[in-house]
Amino acid sequence: MTARRQLWSDRLRFDMGAALAICAALALVPLFVSGPYALGIILVSIYFAIIALGWNLLAGYTGQFSLAPAAFAMIGGYTTALLGHYLHVPLALGIPAAIVSAALFGWVLGKLVLNLSGPYLSLTTLAFAEIARVVIGNSHEFTRGDQGMHVATLTQSRIGYYYIFLGTLVAVLVLLYGLLRGRLGRFMMAVRDDPVGASSRGIDVVRIKMIAFCVSCALCGLAGSLYGTFSQLVSPELGLLQQTGLVLSMVVIGGMSSLTGALLGALLVYLSSEWLRGFGDVQIIVFALLVILFARYLPGGLWGLAARLLQRGRA
Amino acid sequence: MLALDLLANGLIYGCFYALMAVGLAMIFGVLKVVNFAHGEFFMIGAYTYVLVSLKLGVPPWLALPGAAIAGALLGWLVERLLMRPLYAGYASWGFMKDEYAVVVTFGLSLLLINLVDKIVGPYSFRGPPLIDVGRFALGPVMLTGQKAIAAVIAIALMIALALFIKRSVWGLQIQAVAQNRLGASLAGIDATRTTSLIFIVSGMLAALSGALLAPLVNPSPDIGAFPAVKSYVIVVLGGMGSIWGAMIAALILGVSEAFFSVYVSYDYRDAFGLFILVAVLLLRPQGLLGEKGREV
Amino acid sequence: MLFACLRPLAALSIATLFALPALAAEPILIGVSLTQSPPGSVVQGTQVKDGMEIVKDLVNAKGGVIGRPLKLVYEDNQGIPEKGRAAVEKLITSDKVVALAGGHQSSVCLAEIEVAHRYKVPYVNTNCWSDEVRKRGYPEVFNTSPYNTLVSSSMATTLATMGVKRVVAFAENTDYGIGQAKLTGEILKQKAPQIDYKYETLDRTSKDFTAAILPLRANPPDVIVLSMLPPAAYLVMNQIYEQGLAPSSKTILYDGSSLADYPDFWQNVKEAGKYMLSFALYHPQMKQTPLATEIAAEYKKRTGNEVNRLVLQAADSLELVIQGLQAAKSTEPDTLLKAMQAMKFDSLRGVSNFSTAAGYGFQQWLDIPFVIYELTAEKQPIAQTVVIQAPGQKFDPSKIVRPAK
Repeated sequence: MTARRQLWSDRLRFDMGAALAICAALALVPLFVSGPYALGIILVSIYFAIIALGWNLLAGYTGQFSLAPAAFAMIGGYTTALLGHYLHVPLALGIPAAIVSAALFGWVLGKLVLNLSGPYLSLTTLAFAEIARVVIGNSHEFTRGDQGMHVATLTQSRIGYYYIFLGTLVAVLVLLYGLLRGRLGRFMMAVRDDPVGASSRGIDVVRIKMIAFCVSCALCGLAGSLYGTFSQLVSPELGLLQQTGLVLSMVVIGGMSSLTGALLGALLVYLSSEWLRGFGDVQIIVFALLVILFARYLPGGLWGLAARLLQRGRA
Repeated sequence: MLALDLLANGLIYGCFYALMAVGLAMIFGVLKVVNFAHGEFFMIGAYTYVLVSLKLGVPPWLALPGAAIAGALLGWLVERLLMRPLYAGYASWGFMKDEYAVVVTFGLSLLLINLVDKIVGPYSFRGPPLIDVGRFALGPVMLTGQKAIAAVIAIALMIALALFIKRSVWGLQIQAVAQNRLGASLAGIDATRTTSLIFIVSGMLAALSGALLAPLVNPSPDIGAFPAVKSYVIVVLGGMGSIWGAMIAALILGVSEAFFSVYVSYDYRDAFGLFILVAVLLLRPQGLLGEKGREV
Repeated sequence: MLFACLRPLAALSIATLFALPALAAEPILIGVSLTQSPPGSVVQGTQVKDGMEIVKDLVNAKGGVIGRPLKLVYEDNQGIPEKGRAAVEKLITSDKVVALAGGHQSSVCLAEIEVAHRYKVPYVNTNCWSDEVRKRGYPEVFNTSPYNTLVSSSMATTLATMGVKRVVAFAENTDYGIGQAKLTGEILKQKAPQIDYKYETLDRTSKDFTAAILPLRANPPDVIVLSMLPPAAYLVMNQIYEQGLAPSSKTILYDGSSLADYPDFWQNVKEAGKYMLSFALYHPQMKQTPLATEIAAEYKKRTGNEVNRLVLQAADSLELVIQGLQAAKSTEPDTLLKAMQAMKFDSLRGVSNFSTAAGYGFQQWLDIPFVIYELTAEKQPIAQTVVIQAPGQKFDPSKIVRPAK
């Protein structure tokens, strides 16, 4: 193995190790904290973490800066809800169906933006996301509009759901590690850094982009569907641009292009937004200020900083 | 006649959209980043106009420049404090400027909306009209004094802007920086100062459009969403960096929205613009008047 | 000598014994989930909060409820159903509130009552009009809010009595708006099938509705019904006025959301609000209890605005919980629930009890008093409006004031 490849796989391993360590810590949390509310908060931050990881794959690793992750979570959630409501499809099929439908829509979106880059790509994904949200929100006869739709649930137990989400998170991490570890990961980054150069070296840029879109959107759809079963409700607000902005903030604050960064960012940002409730009226103002300051002064994100410090000892 | 009514109304709103969008076209053309906070410039302009005229008792004609100043100031601050990292050589953000711009402007948008909500309060105000003429009939079409005056001012401002860009020294500098930042600075143009100027003008135009529309849309803290999305549709439809394109696209959007909502559906009126955006990007990515050779 | 010392000592100990409960009085926590930031209606949330704060202060000044002070715990649901669900869950499981009140947006209510039902905590519906909230039939939900069937049947009766020929309704694209518009149409078809009624759904986040208004100019209807909330409602009114459509000698507006007394109504519509008929839930001519008058004075002192129906509705919901606590003499959820179900509720607008009929009337205060009045001047105080239908009486079309041209 060349030195460069060694460096990359070392870094990825370190990254994965740290992410799994965080998951292990999360697994132990119910021993110390038992209130359903507290567990619920961590659970919701895991929902955001899965979306953040999915988005990070698409944007951080493959350079496709999409503004639609929240919309895909909404699509996944509504797939499960609609199938359950109209066709009485049980969750065992409903949740996989959400993954598939999100992947399909992701494929469509990928095809739409194949020849676009930069702000054009972002705008198209933004338009796609808004169209999806408006169509779902305004189709009253079909989707009950802003009232939302009821979704069945996997279990009534809060701790049960906690471990379901945690387990899904670990599975997602393992999946991403497997994807990134091999050549696919390096090809994705090649597409991100220099698409023309990559294709001149024989990399099938189109295929890489499509894979990134499908996997990323599928993950978002999975998260949305699971979340719908947890809260037993899906509503168009799942796909608000505000939610996408939140996900982006999490990844940026946590650290782009790393697994742990996305995970850490999601946990920290969501937990601190809950903690800020204590500030009462100004909670969102403080949150917004923090987002701006972090983006402005800490570009590598927290994990970037931490990794640099932790890895100082290594070669 | 209904069609005439819709046409007239669509054109008038098109003028307002154009004023909103033209500032964004400038920023987009130069920096090529998505700005989540453009709608908030509009909102701040609208609120400045309303508060200055209602609370300070200033006549509306004077409140208008007040709004312009507020917008210019905000634009300058945003560029100075938040946007510099995009091009002033901050290495670690190098290839990630899109992400940075989105996150920072997302945070800014959230901050401004909630600051205004807390400081001014959530109740909306109908801005005072510039002239006291109520509704009047212009042929078969019903207008109000405010709509007519605001449309005229909007058109005048855009003509002024077009002349500014085409004829003045600063305008030429702006064009140069938009075409090729490095080349422009090699030619001796201070790119940073030019960018600052672009933000100031953009902020001012957006704020003015907010002030002109304040009597028509009853500003509330979250009023910014509506001009923001429309502006993006217009900028893409018109062609990146083309100000004439943005103006023409705005008129087209205004008129087609009006006809679409009557003959197809009121509910999806705002989604219609988004469909246009996607269609344009697929079929003619350079928009109406954008340059063809550009890498898109 | 011993006795001389003992007596003051005894008095002191007895006095301390009595003071101890007051010193150790733990506040009773009541959860309030409302909208305090966009995208929901912050205007409504503010009015609800104001109303509840006043009642809480009045009650605490008089010694609290069953010897304990009242404390309101607020959560911001931003008008998003999912956030409402999370907010109510936090209030119940983490803050351990004894009851919930303050819901003012139907779609959020529907999400919140699920949680209240799961944990069996009383939930007072302050202002969610959608019949769906009642149709779920949850025993934890107490509806002091107006309901769509009430408003729609009254509107249908009004329209039939007016003897009009054509009615157009503008409904916002929410459960409340579409629900009301549809229901009015259905009832109207039975009462007065000769009336041509149709409704248009409008996007409540849009700012320009002229396209929906222009087609009406060629053939103006007799009444334009608004099943919309601010800010869209104000914009529609302004744009209808701009097009010269209403108010005119032929066409008048009818407000089906009781928004004519919102604090920001006149500053947003100005001359477009004249001659509008409003289905209203508060009018000084209505029977006022002393408490209602006290609240009105306090609201005027605190905000400078005249009291309105939403503020009183909020006050009413808190009153219901307070009376429930007094009847139950405990904060145990089961006891409280049973007491609330059994008692007669002495509200600010009359004594009522909750119907137990299934459907839209489940645990709903059915006979909410209402008036229909007409605004005849800008910035008109409610007391000076023209009452077209006094509470409990028939709608009298001859009282309607029309503009000259």
